Amino acid sequence: MDGVNSRVMSETVPNVASSDVALSVRGLSKSFGRKVVENLDLTINPGEFYALLGPNGAGKTTSLRMIAGLIRPDAGTISVYGRDVLTDPLAAKSIMAWIPDEPLLYDKLSPLEYLEFIAGLWRVEPKLARERANELLETLGLWPHRHERCEGFSRGMKQKTVLAGALIHEPKFLLLDEPLTGLDAASSRLVKDLLLAETQKGAAIILTTHILEVAERLATRIGILSGGTLLAEGDLASLKTQAGLEHGSLEDVFLHLTHSDAHGRPTSPMRNTAA
Amino acid sequence: MFAAPGFPWLLRHELRVLWRSSILMRTHRHVILPVIIVGALFQTIGIVLGRQIAAHPIGQDEMLLAANINIVFLFALMFSRAISASIDVIYGRGDADFLLASPIPPGRVLAVRMLGVACSIAAPWVLLGGVLGNGLAVYGQFWGLCVYPMFFTEALLVAALAFALVVILLRFVSPQSTRRTGHTLALITGVGIFIIGQLPRFVPKAELGQFWFSLLPGPNGGGLAFIFARGLLGQPGALAASVAFALAGFCTVWFFLAKPFADGVITAAASRPRGRADAQNGKFRVSPFAASLAKDLRLLFRFPGIVTQIIYRSLTLVPVALILAGHFHMGGMGNGMAATVPLLVFLAGQLGLFFISVLAGCETIPELALTAPVPASTPQRAALAASAYATIFILAAPAIAVLARAPGLLPPLIIGTAGVLFCNLLLGQKMPIPLVRAQFGKTSTGTVLGLILGVSVSSVWSFIIWVAVAPHPLAWLISNHS
Repeated sequence: MDGVNSRVMSETVPNVASSDVALSVRGLSKSFGRKVVENLDLTINPGEFYALLGPNGAGKTTSLRMIAGLIRPDAGTISVYGRDVLTDPLAAKSIMAWIPDEPLLYDKLSPLEYLEFIAGLWRVEPKLARERANELLETLGLWPHRHERCEGFSRGMKQKTVLAGALIHEPKFLLLDEPLTGLDAASSRLVKDLLLAETQKGAAIILTTHILEVAERLATRIGILSGGTLLAEGDLASLKTQAGLEHGSLEDVFLHLTHSDAHGRPTSPMRNTAA
Repeated sequence: MFAAPGFPWLLRHELRVLWRSSILMRTHRHVILPVIIVGALFQTIGIVLGRQIAAHPIGQDEMLLAANINIVFLFALMFSRAISASIDVIYGRGDADFLLASPIPPGRVLAVRMLGVACSIAAPWVLLGGVLGNGLAVYGQFWGLCVYPMFFTEALLVAALAFALVVILLRFVSPQSTRRTGHTLALITGVGIFIIGQLPRFVPKAELGQFWFSLLPGPNGGGLAFIFARGLLGQPGALAASVAFALAGFCTVWFFLAKPFADGVITAAASRPRGRADAQNGKFRVSPFAASLAKDLRLLFRFPGIVTQIIYRSLTLVPVALILAGHFHMGGMGNGMAATVPLLVFLAGQLGLFFISVLAGCETIPELALTAPVPASTPQRAALAASAYATIFILAAPAIAVLARAPGLLPPLIIGTAGVLFCNLLLGQKMPIPLVRAQFGKTSTGTVLGLILGVSVSSVWSFIIWVAVAPHPLAWLISNHS
């Protein structure tokens, strides 16, 4: 399996960080008493939809929070379209949007007021912001509720409001931590279509999810993280091949990889074996 | 020790959660020393006061009247918080849902929560009253220690009444209207008490004497109306009767109102309040500071109970109004105009501290601004500006009225207001006062230490300005004693 992983990694990870690359992460490590993320390398290209999968406590959210500039890594570099997140965070943040697993909303604001606040933070030109807000509220079915305070919203409505906030400044790179939690089937489809449309416009997306079907259907590439280490990476077909499960599902691949890790069998990182 | 999932077991669990989220457990290590110093300072003041009371005893009837006024005043203060807390117990989501969804009878869960509300509304007053009680005990007046059981007893009754009111109101109006009604009732009681305190300025001395005399217990001892006051003064029978009365009231409300309500509602999620619509014209702004300021002002003025809280704090304006109306007479102070500036400075400090604390409590998603391409200080500066703006907005009218009569007071007013706002806004941002509704088992954003330090800062600035503007700062004191 180590050989398998090393081949996948060597095929997909370029070693340069330039403005042509949406996200370049090198040697990212973070520890909170114990190692949470260890020597993580990631590269995502513009227009790419990248799904980061892993069991609970694998380090997915910590990785995303480090990329978003919320947690300072112990080691490593993070670059978004050539802008260094650690040395020039404001420049990097200006083209990024982050959606956490828990909807970040002010309960006492209405969706329109919330969008107004976000647009101000990202310095979106007012006329453009208004047009974009109206469009997003219409698309996400929030228009009838635009003047209602979010305190009475369901989780799904809150999630859609947060998504509207993330998209109002037209980010070139989106970090989504479990964005589909709490959405009904119709809303989930709507959000997926919206995200795909963003990638078609050239935006890059990194998404964490426990719903493997979402990764299977949306992602152009999938990474599997466990114990803070990237175990495998590639498109679905290559992951299946590498795992020796050509006729299996992503779930089979995921369980195969993470199960072996959970039982202590050798799943050393591919870059180590590649080296 | 307690069999699960019985009432004592559940109560122990809730008390443990409350303790772990209390200021003593949450306080950062470097704040412990100031907490101990302030606590010791308060206890010293309590001992001094205790000595004065022990050395100059007043009549039993007057003591009873003072104790009764204390009871009524505390009732008003506790009631407002109890109303909000009761609504949160019913509508607050999270662990309430979890417990109500468990096989534990919902009525039992609600009973424990009601007790929790009683504990949380009693705690600050028990700490404050305990300081005086301890001081009295030092000088052999052991009845002073009755503040501990009596304040809890009163809180038990207040919590029961608040629950009863909330459950009844919720049958007819929305949770928001219920909360507003509770605040209004508490406000009316509080303002009523304040007006009684101002009576000496309006009512002739003889008639006022008659009024106070009519409130005294009289030869029959005042009957049931003074039972709590007697308990507070350490009469064992009255103490036992007060506790029994409060317990009976608590159990009655629980059995006839709260328990059926809990059994019917089952979970908070089932009765989620509807979102309220607000008029908004969608003014998009290109400046992060302006957008943050607009957001903060909205959050500020939508804080539950904001009007009540502002009115309570603005009671300082009553003496200002009395001075301006020429109703203020105190030896050695002339027309009293010099006193208006320290009063306004004190009010500015208190309002500023309150507003910045509200914003600190409302900032539930600091990560959002941290992911935005703005300096980390932008949201903080916006919060400071919003708090200062709101304070100055409220102060504008009385300040203009004062300056119209005495324009020379402008420099000290500006210096005092700027100084007190600078100190208290920075203090409140680091150490907000406890404003978040009393939610049992939930962490409050504020600390009592912030409140104590904030009031101290307002007082110090007020005193400095008083010394600067008053022709003879202590003349009124000397004149009163001579």
